[in-house]
Amino acid sequence: MAARDVFTFLVGGQAGQGVKSAAGGASEILAGLGRETFQLDDYQSLIRGGHSFSVVSTAPGPVSSHYGRADLIIALDAPSYEEHRDQLAENGILVRNSDEVPDGEGIGAPITSLAEHYSRPLLRSGVSAVAILCCALGMDDEELSATIARIYPKDSKNNVALAKSVHEAVSGDVGGRFRLDGDGKRRTLIAGTQAMCLGAAAAGLDVYIAYPMTPSSPLLHFLSTHDDDLSVVTVHPESEIAVANMALGCAMAGARAMVGTSGGGYALMEEAFSLAGMSESPCLFFLGQRSGPATGVPTYTEQSDLRFAIHAGHGEFARAVASPGDVAESFRLAAELLDLAWRFQSPTVLLSDKHLAECTVTAEVDIDGAPWAEPIAHEGGDYARYAETKDGVSPLLFPPSDEMIKWTSYEHDEAGITTEEAGMVVRMHDKRQRKTEALAEAVRSLRTVNRFGDSGPVVLTYGSTTMSALEAVRAGGLDVRVIQPVYLEPFPSWELNELRGERVVVVEASAGGQFAKFMSEKAGVNVAAVIKRYDGRPFEPTELAREIETAIG
Amino acid sequence: MSADYSTSAPITWCPGCGNFGIKTAYEQAVAKLAEDGVPSSDIVMTAGIGQHAKMFDYVTTSGFYSLHGRSLATAQGIKIANPELKVVAFVGDGDTLGEGVAHFVFAAKRNSDITVICHNNGIYALTTGQRAPTSPVGYKGPSTPHGNVEEPLNGLVLALESGATFVARSYSGKLEQLTDIIVQAVQHEGFAFIDVLQPCVTFNNTYELYNEITYDLEQSRETLDEALDVARERDKLATGIIYRTTRPAGERALLRGRVPATDRPGRDARREQVKAVLKALEVA
Repeated sequence: MAARDVFTFLVGGQAGQGVKSAAGGASEILAGLGRETFQLDDYQSLIRGGHSFSVVSTAPGPVSSHYGRADLIIALDAPSYEEHRDQLAENGILVRNSDEVPDGEGIGAPITSLAEHYSRPLLRSGVSAVAILCCALGMDDEELSATIARIYPKDSKNNVALAKSVHEAVSGDVGGRFRLDGDGKRRTLIAGTQAMCLGAAAAGLDVYIAYPMTPSSPLLHFLSTHDDDLSVVTVHPESEIAVANMALGCAMAGARAMVGTSGGGYALMEEAFSLAGMSESPCLFFLGQRSGPATGVPTYTEQSDLRFAIHAGHGEFARAVASPGDVAESFRLAAELLDLAWRFQSPTVLLSDKHLAECTVTAEVDIDGAPWAEPIAHEGGDYARYAETKDGVSPLLFPPSDEMIKWTSYEHDEAGITTEEAGMVVRMHDKRQRKTEALAEAVRSLRTVNRFGDSGPVVLTYGSTTMSALEAVRAGGLDVRVIQPVYLEPFPSWELNELRGERVVVVEASAGGQFAKFMSEKAGVNVAAVIKRYDGRPFEPTELAREIETAIG
Repeated sequence: MSADYSTSAPITWCPGCGNFGIKTAYEQAVAKLAEDGVPSSDIVMTAGIGQHAKMFDYVTTSGFYSLHGRSLATAQGIKIANPELKVVAFVGDGDTLGEGVAHFVFAAKRNSDITVICHNNGIYALTTGQRAPTSPVGYKGPSTPHGNVEEPLNGLVLALESGATFVARSYSGKLEQLTDIIVQAVQHEGFAFIDVLQPCVTFNNTYELYNEITYDLEQSRETLDEALDVARERDKLATGIIYRTTRPAGERALLRGRVPATDRPGRDARREQVKAVLKALEVA
């Protein structure tokens, strides 16, 4: 395996010990050195107790996954020590909370007793983890204080005091053990969900409506927090059914709305999804997949809703479904799909999963390249909401107006009045078919497939497994091409016809190999192997590299 | 006053249907509101699915013909996008107290500034007469041929308990009263619920019953408890405005003066907003 300058930090503890914040702090510090970072947060469906851990992997160049072996492991409690002690990389350092694990491998630090000098000692444990990292990176007292105060501004005086005491406790064993290079450039840390929010905002989002559901809740929280910053209204109503139907009402009145959910919520929205098709209502749906079916494993990841995303809603009507391969692409696609929704008065789906939605990485997004979602406007004269046009897209007009503007769930005539007349039923079905074709035509001019690498066997991915596969390629020095369809519906067959009959390896987080079957059906590829992972956890790059090598060998 | 806001769609309600009365009262109300400074172009309607909902095809009011039970969700979406519109949601008793009851409770809870006109005929007429949430014990319909065994739900009580700030009952035969109530409901800022009793001449002809047991409530009740007492009456049914009070409307509190559909920052302004938020995520 090719050597890479990847440094991996892991912190584990119980929920309520500030594990995620500590990892966030680690990401900031490591990115601040002028490096790329990737943060994974693994947490359970609870608020206190249990086991949660976060991993931050960092490199001078691109890094698109956490790594399974860590160079610095900080176990804030006993379960974390047991869980992660075997994950130490060569020449790595394991620091255990000696109050919880008095005897064991690695270095003991009395984290609990040090934290107990201050209020909320359990939550403050996370500060210790960051302090240990700072120490390991060779920071002096002054740098440490400044760093801790910046990362933990609330009650910073006590946080700094705790950090100093932890630093003192471990500096003999840990101090300056890792010297990491960086290019000194400023970077931005962005979570997948943040990128999606900002992408939609850049394209003109007006209203975000959602019901809390992992892993989509962060969009609701982020946009609610930044509602005034972005001039976006956020609404948290009584159910996903209310969410989706309200969003369509917003569209009728001229406001650009987006909704967010996971598989179970998407299921509840399905009738409204069909309504979007019949009424020709623009709406962007974020579907964050998680381990299923039903309630499943709420805070873990999977890719088992591909077919569901594409085929949602009874009846036949246009929709666009695209899945970003990284955080930067999440921004781009959120904007693009909102725009497509409004250009074609259709539902569009931003398909992702817990792994990508909730990772936090150093990334750059293209704000100026984002489209601005505008519908085709009615120019004047008599208005018919569903005027039959060549491409099936009817000009829009919003109330208040002297014109009659009727959007409807029934089959209808051009004015939007209910019809049962055979000829009109055909005409409107045909209109919607033309619109489906027009949408597909428009998608042809977008970036619908990403290709990485110039030579070697083909590895197919979509969504978050793209990140995993690319890191596996780097970790293993693999000579493969990674091909990632971005748009799944309309399917970019024009881009992928070259793969017809080609022997490919598929990587996906699906027990049933949904994506492999999909690609076989749509692109005619010859699936030689499907590398699956469906334990709720994302692929680990070094393991995946071995699996890919085996599959192509 | 005569008012005609009819479309050219042929009406498919049965002759003698209470819906004709509701339609006339609604059109008269629209005309009256126009006189009072609310142009008809400011009014937007939603409808669920059922006989009531055909109103959507028969009047020229702009709007959204929604899904069964979802009229109120759609209506609130419209109101959130443009709170300057007057939103009137037409619902059926089955549609809003069955399929859509959660939206009903929450729209009242929010004091959403919409007017809900409930065509209460006590059954699901469009699907041939099954019992509805409002049907009495013993009602025999296609799904309860041996007689309904459930007690009815009282929409007025539910509205009051959920926080509605304008609650009224009327009757499809009392055009003048219904017109006046609709006008006042639309002008009321907050959740206005009008339970309109209507006989179904085909499946549940309560015409004689309602003539006998309805009475005019001369004055609306001052307190919620008094209003609930009136709403709970079963042997006689009060018509008129039963309760009205003032509370900030949900959209007013949510939007804080914004009109999302029209107060939109331009493309450049929005880009600057996004850049500012991203700047805050930059690492020191």
